[in-house]
Amino acid sequence: MTAAIDIHHIHKSFGRVKALDGLDLRVDAGTVHGFLGPNGAGKSTTIRILLGLLRADAGQAQLLGGDPWADAVALHRRLAYVPGDVELWPNLTGGEAIDLFARLRGGTDPVRRDELCQRFDLDPSKKGRTYSKGNRQKVALIAALASDVELLLLDEPTAGLDPLMEAVFQECIREVKNAGRTVLLSSHILAQVEVLADQISIIRQGKIVETGSLTDLRHLTRTSVEAVTDRPAEGLANLAGVHGLRTDGGQIRFEVDGDQLAVVVRELGELGVQGLTVRPPTLEQLLLRHYGDRPVHNGAAEVA
Amino acid sequence: MAATTLDRAAPAGTGPGTAVTGIGSLLRFMLRRDRIRLPAWTLGLPLLMTYFAAALDTIAQSPEDLAGLTAFTSSPAGALFGGPGFGFDDLTIERFLAGQYGLYILLGAGLMGLLTVVRHTRTEERTGRAELVRANVVGRHAQLTAALALTAVMAVLVALLIGAMMTSRGFDVGGSMVFGASVGAVALTFAGIAAVTVQLSEYPRAASGMAGAALGAAFVLRGLGDMAAVQGSGPSWLSWLSPIGWSQQTAAYVHDRWWPLAVSLAFAGATAVTGYVLSARRDFGAGLVPPRPGSPRAASWLAGPFTLAFRLHRASLIGWSAALLVAGVAYGSFTQPLLDGFENAPEDLVEVMGGGSGDLLAGYLGMMGLTMALVVGVYAVLAVQSLRAEETEGRAEPVLATSVSRTAWLGSHVAVVALGVPWLLLVAGVGMGVGAAASTGDAGLLGDLLIGHLAHTPAVWLVLAAAALLYAAVPRMLPVIWVVLGYGLIAGYFAPILELPEGLLRLSPFEHVGEYPLEDVNVVAVVVLTVLAGALAQAAVSVFRRRDLAGGA
Repeated sequence: MTAAIDIHHIHKSFGRVKALDGLDLRVDAGTVHGFLGPNGAGKSTTIRILLGLLRADAGQAQLLGGDPWADAVALHRRLAYVPGDVELWPNLTGGEAIDLFARLRGGTDPVRRDELCQRFDLDPSKKGRTYSKGNRQKVALIAALASDVELLLLDEPTAGLDPLMEAVFQECIREVKNAGRTVLLSSHILAQVEVLADQISIIRQGKIVETGSLTDLRHLTRTSVEAVTDRPAEGLANLAGVHGLRTDGGQIRFEVDGDQLAVVVRELGELGVQGLTVRPPTLEQLLLRHYGDRPVHNGAAEVA
Repeated sequence: MAATTLDRAAPAGTGPGTAVTGIGSLLRFMLRRDRIRLPAWTLGLPLLMTYFAAALDTIAQSPEDLAGLTAFTSSPAGALFGGPGFGFDDLTIERFLAGQYGLYILLGAGLMGLLTVVRHTRTEERTGRAELVRANVVGRHAQLTAALALTAVMAVLVALLIGAMMTSRGFDVGGSMVFGASVGAVALTFAGIAAVTVQLSEYPRAASGMAGAALGAAFVLRGLGDMAAVQGSGPSWLSWLSPIGWSQQTAAYVHDRWWPLAVSLAFAGATAVTGYVLSARRDFGAGLVPPRPGSPRAASWLAGPFTLAFRLHRASLIGWSAALLVAGVAYGSFTQPLLDGFENAPEDLVEVMGGGSGDLLAGYLGMMGLTMALVVGVYAVLAVQSLRAEETEGRAEPVLATSVSRTAWLGSHVAVVALGVPWLLLVAGVGMGVGAAASTGDAGLLGDLLIGHLAHTPAVWLVLAAAALLYAAVPRMLPVIWVVLGYGLIAGYFAPILELPEGLLRLSPFEHVGEYPLEDVNVVAVVVLTVLAGALAQAAVSVFRRRDLAGGA
């Protein structure tokens, strides 16, 4: 597979603040890549380097086979960008802004534009200054989705959208993916990345700390289990990979390492399971593992 | 629990006494927020008056000097830009100060009143901060009432300080107090007008714009009335339609009338009551005038960086064109009265006007060309500052993320402003020309003025290009460009008085082309300035390609 984005060891400092500290990132063409990290981790800086708005201090970056700084204008014809905080001109209407961005990018499909306005429920005749944050976001999203480009760079694109619009957004991204385009989706909204991304990279303090598919990353974390059993289940606490077992009126809760799950489930069966809830790790837990070095629950001590 | 909730809910909705619940805390909060602004306004206006007084002392040291000034100031043009001229036939320093310069203090007080009210009402609502405040135990009218009370406090402070300052200079106590009170009265009337305009539109800028337009109308109405009064014929009653007129009709140091200020107070009260009534008829955050929808599609010409730059600068260009046209006509129609009035003006003043060579008319016209060039220079610098705002507020970023290069983005904006410069000079020249031709009856002046104005284009271009280079290289340093304009003003106006050496004088870009028609247009200077401006603009574009873009978020 060819890479739409290929970054090797990028460094970027603002004065004494180190924003990116040897970041590597590879996004395969035709995939949706989740770019996950807390605020201030360097997500926007990375994207702005890819756009040639900032110049990296060291390292190499390739975007659609070109140099993001030197070939910025040619590359920008082939991509669309939605910033995290969309600002519009106060005296231009949303519709004017959408048309303008599409034209500056080199052409638009008016039918698709109107269809997107409808799906996102946007009134394009309002002046920029009257839009709420969510509506400004919609303007930028519609302008990006209506253009026929190979790559979408989306920096926290749904920060101001309500759940209904978020669903529309997910639908649109799936369509984009089916059309064979590439999406870099930065977010700290975990559920969104979980639903859409084929691959995920987690950034922390200017470095990628983890990268892979969601399945790959799940091996790194723990599954939460809740069960009601006939016989007492305290013995499970002695199994390898079981953490934080607690009993709560006949119900037991614990977490288990991904690679020990099979053994634990077999053992549970022996105890006469009446009810069982198994939850896959959320990205929240993945992040906690990387950002707080504390465990998800402090349960082990409680039981002991 | 339920009882206490009810207890609190009841007072907020009923009776006028509780609609202002929380006003004390709000007022203290406003004083805290305005801890810089309040002293700046209330000390600034008296200081400006002190400056006028000190300046007049140096210009007019003998009774003859004063008499020389009257010839000019009691002409219709003097009335337009001064006042009805009470007691100017027996002129004293304080009468001249109150009657001529007082107008500008009154204008300042009007601005203070309307800006303070808009700042603490509509701006707060627009930003959403007022919503947080109103969600507490705060009455429906508390915010407006506190804003008006704050303005009243400022008005009283200004009135007392100006009165005290004038008294301390040895002027009559009664007259000083009347004059101070007349300044405070204007602040109150425009606070009242702003209390109405903030109800009309959702946007603070529209609210202060409407109140500012009322201030402009008040200035023009009393100007026309005062001109008629000085000429002794025509609609002098027009002055009585203007809040500024009421304050001027107190005739400080002449008649010392207090009763016109009763009209001001009644007007301020009536407008404030109108504001309260209107505010009860609208929703929180909304305006009485609903916002108009715009076009859902972009015009077909809006398709590239240049047309985008034009679209973004268009509104400001229209505004500047209108203002310069009006100013041009106004100053142009000054020409004949000025020539009459200057026959016995002080020598320094004649010198500034280039009258040393004996040609006062050419001197005045050339001077106006330079003045307008400096004003258009202000336009150019503000336009570059708006460019910086495009970048820092995050609107440049999505444009530069399309196939618009940095060269095209900066180049387009600079090109639009560079075209705006000769256009605005042309408009100002046409205004001046028409005004001067009508005033003197010499149609040939129109051509002279057009050449005189347009000849300054390369000098303004140089300022524009230097501003663009500063912005491209070190955006934080952009305000430094004001030094160039400030120096241009000093070199142009006060060089003869300050006796600046020639070499120092020529540091100003405005001192090379020549003030046509007094001096010939220096073609070499025009070419050199243009080439220099082009080189600086080129440097700006290539520097801008190399730096990081400032983020919006």
